Amino acid sequence: MELKEEEVLDAVRESLEGGEDPLSLVECLRKGMTEVGRRFENKEYYLSELIMSAEIFKEAIDLIEPHLQRDSCEVKGGVVIGTVRGDIHDIGKNIVSTLLRCDGFQVYDLGVDVAPSAFVDKLRETGARLLALSGLLTLAFDSMKDTVNAVVEAGLRERVKVIIGGGPVDEKVVKYVGADAFGKDASQGVRLANAFLGG
Amino acid sequence: MDSRERIETAIRLGKPDRVPVVPIIDFFSARYGGISQHDMLFDVRKSDEALEKTLRDLGPIDGQHLSYAGLGRIMQLIFPNPPVMPGVGGEPPDGQFQFVERTVMQPEEYLEIGRRGPLRWVLDKMRLSHPELKNPLELLKAFGNSFADMAMIKRSIRRWRSKGVESLVAFNIVFTPLEYISLFMRSFNEFILDLFRRPEEVREASRALMPLMRRQGALMVRMSGIRRVFMGGTRTSASFLSPRQFEEFALPEWEEMCEFWVSRGVTPVLHFDSDWTAFFPYLRGLPRGKCVLNLDGTSDIFAAKEQLGDHMCIMGDVPATLLKLGEPEEVDEYCRRLIMELGSDGGFILSSGCTIPVDAKPENVKTMLSSVHRYKP
Repeated sequence: MELKEEEVLDAVRESLEGGEDPLSLVECLRKGMTEVGRRFENKEYYLSELIMSAEIFKEAIDLIEPHLQRDSCEVKGGVVIGTVRGDIHDIGKNIVSTLLRCDGFQVYDLGVDVAPSAFVDKLRETGARLLALSGLLTLAFDSMKDTVNAVVEAGLRERVKVIIGGGPVDEKVVKYVGADAFGKDASQGVRLANAFLGG
Repeated sequence: MDSRERIETAIRLGKPDRVPVVPIIDFFSARYGGISQHDMLFDVRKSDEALEKTLRDLGPIDGQHLSYAGLGRIMQLIFPNPPVMPGVGGEPPDGQFQFVERTVMQPEEYLEIGRRGPLRWVLDKMRLSHPELKNPLELLKAFGNSFADMAMIKRSIRRWRSKGVESLVAFNIVFTPLEYISLFMRSFNEFILDLFRRPEEVREASRALMPLMRRQGALMVRMSGIRRVFMGGTRTSASFLSPRQFEEFALPEWEEMCEFWVSRGVTPVLHFDSDWTAFFPYLRGLPRGKCVLNLDGTSDIFAAKEQLGDHMCIMGDVPATLLKLGEPEEVDEYCRRLIMELGSDGGFILSSGCTIPVDAKPENVKTMLSSVHRYKP
């Protein structure tokens, strides 16, 4: 398996024209992404290759989607994700968001500089059971803490798991903000989502 | 030894009388000294007073690493993709300075850089966020203001030097072409995809931009009088690129840029954020004893010492998280380890991993600054 964008997309087009079951194509692409994830964790692939793979996956899904019956794809579970208040860094958050989608999660990406109340509102509205908070600045630790407190005050903490990520985040920060776990890279973020939502 | 000798000895891989401490401190010292981040960025005098108070309370330093004090107007101007600036455009005065991830260059423009000429092309991009620069008089005024600000900063550098605080790189900020394109032009994700989709065009753009990047750096060196340059690296690190991509795209640029500075008697301070550990072996290709490898706490600095300690000065890397959430004992232990293990045979400068965060605990900063006096390798 190599990252040959046009070849993959041509193969998808040909398969669709040849009447192949679109769902089996989706399944095949997901298997490809699982293999990419495995290579990333084994340090055979680097982040750039993960990003390119996810881009090819997205483009292929765009081709397949019109051929799918509504709601025929199984969705693993809902994840509300965003960069916390006061921080506008979104590289890591965007990668996690994309990989979660590739892995079959329903992702509600609220963007950057997100207020605690916006996270709470989205959790209420969607019933999502996983909250993923991102930040690069140390100031973000306080916003993460405020967000977790807001989730507690809204009475949602019992059913919502909280994971955090971003350059300076470690076990100390997990404890400080009252989260459940942290992902040291995007791939680990997806693994945590699967572990918490039983994917 | 005075501060300057101490720093220079470490840079040349010698062993000074003690390990020098050279943090990026002004975001923190502004808050500690009671001024806003806006004032720090736009008012050198206030910033100097805040730093004065910080050093009086928390201990002396041998030098300031990159300083943002007074650089506000220049940074508003020169980045085609203007950063979030405290106190500007509705931002709170004590907010955090941050770069914005935004695309201001289309993929088909890579070849335009060479065709149009890099300076004209960059000016075109600057005019997107500063339309007033289309007027030649306004352009002249804007650059005039920047030179006035640099002159003011230069006076501050001299004052600090007379007090025994060396300016490591002043405002001598230089980028390699690909770091510049990723940070300020294409944005991270688009840039990564371009490496796969249009590799030859990316390389062509890199070649076209290189002379401008060097000229800009040379101008800064002349203006500041400091013969060291800050070269920021993050987008071409092992956190993002594969070794093959690094070899193909980034390494030639880093080597060319470093050799250019070294041949002119200027020391490149490679300020490498993110994880560079897997790329350490490549850095042995840089001129020996002429460059500084400055790490931010993400790379394995102990591995850097092992693999590169006889080749380049290592600088770093008390992590921001430790300075904010750790206890003084933990900071002390980390600094002790850095000083004793990395400074044992010289060639080491103690610094913060990237900047000391604005909200670091003062007692942790004090512990870090004083550790060089407590531990003698």
